[in-house]
Amino acid sequence: MDIAEFRTGFHAWLDAHSDELAPRFAFPGTLDEHMEQMQRVKGLLYEAGWIRFGWPERVGGLGGAPILRTELGASLMARGIVDPGVYSLIEVLVPTLVDFAPTELAAAVVPLLLSGAEMWCQGFSEPGSGSDLASLSCRAVPQGGDPETATHWVVNGQKVWTSLAQYSDRCVLLTRTGTPESRHKGITAFFVDLDTPGITISPIEMINGDLEFCEVFYDDVVIPSDRILGGVGGGWAVAMHLLPFERSSCFWQRIAYLYVRMNWLAERVPADDDRAAEALGNAWIALHSLRARSRKTQQRLGAGETIGAETSVDKVLVAQGEYAVYDAVRRLLPGVVELDDTPVGEAWRAEFLYSRASTIYGGSAEVQRNIVARRLLDLGDEGS
Amino acid sequence: MMDVAERALLDEAVRGAIAAAQAAGVGVGLGVGLGVGDVDGEDVLLDDVLAGIGWLEMLEAEPRDAIGVVFGALGATNGVATVLDDVVVAGLGLTPRPDLAVVLPRWGHVGTAGVAAGSGPGTAVEATGLATSRIAAAAEVLVVVTGGDGPALATLPGAAVDATRVHGLDPWFGWQRVQVAAPADLTPLDPVVAAAAVAAGQRAIAHQIEGACRTALDQARDHALAREQFGGPVARFQALRHRLAEAFVAAEAIESALLAAWDDGGDLTAALAKAIAARSARVVATQAQQVLAGIGFTTDHPFHRTLKRMMVLEGVLGSADELALDLGRRAIAMRRVPTLVEL
Repeated sequence: MDIAEFRTGFHAWLDAHSDELAPRFAFPGTLDEHMEQMQRVKGLLYEAGWIRFGWPERVGGLGGAPILRTELGASLMARGIVDPGVYSLIEVLVPTLVDFAPTELAAAVVPLLLSGAEMWCQGFSEPGSGSDLASLSCRAVPQGGDPETATHWVVNGQKVWTSLAQYSDRCVLLTRTGTPESRHKGITAFFVDLDTPGITISPIEMINGDLEFCEVFYDDVVIPSDRILGGVGGGWAVAMHLLPFERSSCFWQRIAYLYVRMNWLAERVPADDDRAAEALGNAWIALHSLRARSRKTQQRLGAGETIGAETSVDKVLVAQGEYAVYDAVRRLLPGVVELDDTPVGEAWRAEFLYSRASTIYGGSAEVQRNIVARRLLDLGDEGS
Repeated sequence: MMDVAERALLDEAVRGAIAAAQAAGVGVGLGVGLGVGDVDGEDVLLDDVLAGIGWLEMLEAEPRDAIGVVFGALGATNGVATVLDDVVVAGLGLTPRPDLAVVLPRWGHVGTAGVAAGSGPGTAVEATGLATSRIAAAAEVLVVVTGGDGPALATLPGAAVDATRVHGLDPWFGWQRVQVAAPADLTPLDPVVAAAAVAAGQRAIAHQIEGACRTALDQARDHALAREQFGGPVARFQALRHRLAEAFVAAEAIESALLAAWDDGGDLTAALAKAIAARSARVVATQAQQVLAGIGFTTDHPFHRTLKRMMVLEGVLGSADELALDLGRRAIAMRRVPTLVEL
């Protein structure tokens, strides 16, 4: 099925089931409500087959090009059926299992995520390891001492910024299995069940009031060896493997959502107000800029090209786009973000603040510019 | 549309022809100093060189690749040619000719170049605009004006047009400020065709700006790697690396916007590409200027030529500010912001 056929068919299905799919809570909704909505919708999409397109048949998929799953998510965002922040995680979580988990494990668990029966999270960053992820120290030691023959590993440490851990059943966890100095070479990824004894999840309040991410404490947590993803010492490859998916599919879906918010503004800005028109136009220019770039990246991926450091350009543009759209909101709706106590005001306030984090999460703006300088502009080593 | 390999060959051929011509003193514009007296006289242009490699034929056969490659190359080399006229004429659905010139709207402006009272032969037309140096000797001139019933195409003999060469910031290009106050043959113009002609011109200018941005960035990068201070190349300092990274992102944004504009073919994506090119030109010019520091501020270094060319191109067929205003008004009129391009 090509993408145009898929889009037509899927949109027709969405139209036919719009009542059933519509959120059952009042705008803007709590995070609990968004999570419940997403899992319910995924169940309906799995039953009807749509969410299985673009994934391999050996994990319960229906095959087809990966671009179909990007389109699915974007279509859901465009109609306000799911929240972008919670939905897009499947774009990185499923490829991780498909490409690095033992076949039987992937086949068993991927349908659970796609159908909304389960949610998963990623335990990567730590209090002492953010931008410098390779310095992570959450320790995994083989029971019995021999990594070759151990049937279980014991994990101790702490993760931070684990998005949606409090709603999750399982976690892709990065641990230090090499020496403390081994950096990216001594990292191993595990797929851990969060009901394993010794795991404590503690949500963190973001400045916009949402409790989207958590600290997660691991105290003598025992994980079977058959839950290792990508082999002992293969954790860095697992982490890096996710990046192109994050910076293509997730971005495209977020962009679709930003157009929905821009439409809301375009519907309400008074006509004959040139200052407002110029602000809206500038936000459109910024948003189109990142849509055009993300489209190019998707097309390259679809053509089978390997994408790598150039997605740092996409990341910089996405953050610039987020700032542009939400800065325009403050100009176009003066006082709403600052003072309005209505649901509309609350929603814009939460989104405006969240947009400020676009230059921080997923690799900070500074790190992205370092990558552009080193890898794309070939400027040699940094120094002082 | 050409495949990647064919387009690369075309690009090599065009740039090779331009390089050879510029080495012989053709197409770099007149004079290298800033003295007013340097720039009067005959223009030397790349028009013949481009004609020699089949510009008009490829414009008709493969417009996307012809325009992308030629205008990108002109931008990158500060090359001077009047091929923009051919692009706009073709956009109007007419046959380009070397002696057929167009009057563009005045700098920065979005919309037509003037007005007409009535319709048919001999209608009085008033227009103010911008043109390439082709207009100085053109046999025939076209102007899109606003008539009583919408856009109209005015055709005039070249002699009826008052064109004055502009020196300004970029005296080398040969821009002309144009005034028209004359009777003209006026024919109604389908608004869709009028918009398509503007879109064609905007895409071409965006390509030219992108070429100029790539050259400015290369110059800044080369300087950062060569210039040594405090014990090594200044390229190792993060502050400069980040400036260059900003410039790179800005240049890449133009490229993607042009891909979208060509795939879509419509007037909104062309206007957006032009606006993005203009905004990116500001970013690249600012960052490159700073990295080039002292040497880049002298006429001994070629950067100032690219800087000045970019600054003028920013406003041809709409400045970023005017385009933003126009796009915003259109979004409000539609009560939506269309996505325009899909996967």
